Amino acid sequence: MRTYELMFVVDPRVADEDVVTMTQEYKNMIAGGGSQITGEENWGRRKLAYPINKLNEGKYVLLYIGSEGGKTALPEVEHRMRQNDKILRYLTVRTDEDLKRAARRQPASGAGSPAAPDTGEAPAPETAPQEEEA
Amino acid sequence: MARARKVFFRRRKVCKFCADKIDYIDYKDVKLLQQFIPERSKILPRRISGTCANHQRPLQQAIKRARHLALIPFTTD
Repeated sequence: MRTYELMFVVDPRVADEDVVTMTQEYKNMIAGGGSQITGEENWGRRKLAYPINKLNEGKYVLLYIGSEGGKTALPEVEHRMRQNDKILRYLTVRTDEDLKRAARRQPASGAGSPAAPDTGEAPAPETAPQEEEA
Repeated sequence: MARARKVFFRRRKVCKFCADKIDYIDYKDVKLLQQFIPERSKILPRRISGTCANHQRPLQQAIKRARHLALIPFTTD
């Protein structure tokens, strides 16, 4: 199965309800194209790292998409997003190949449970664990 | 740590992703990526960060994706 992530940034002046309706529209398009929405995240208002169209904030929405066959509605969705000037940025990423590669590398080192990878002392003294939260 | 007085001692660099067993570098993980973009927001080169080639490549890709979505800056002036 192919998996995709579709993230887009909406103009912050668009009301939250409208963002939801807009998202629903795209979701319907994707579902109509034979793919399914496997997850959705709404990051809400977030400061942009640099101004886009003189705006300093944006509303982030993230969709996880799974697709069985070859064809998806994604090109169509992207086309619509490009034309929607309420959408500041969008990005579609195909994730299945990279995730599979990562999964293949994982069991080679930490067989089984990935919960406790710590095993006593590490040979290198300078491996400071920086942060643990995702 | 009390190190011997070696003038040319350099701490051994370890690839963070190898050490922490991060195999999928996510463009959404701003906190992680931020460690590899210093003040001027340039991508930290391997020779400084010690990241191995196999991880620098996806890291670079992730940083560029995050930049596109304005999660991290292209530059700071």
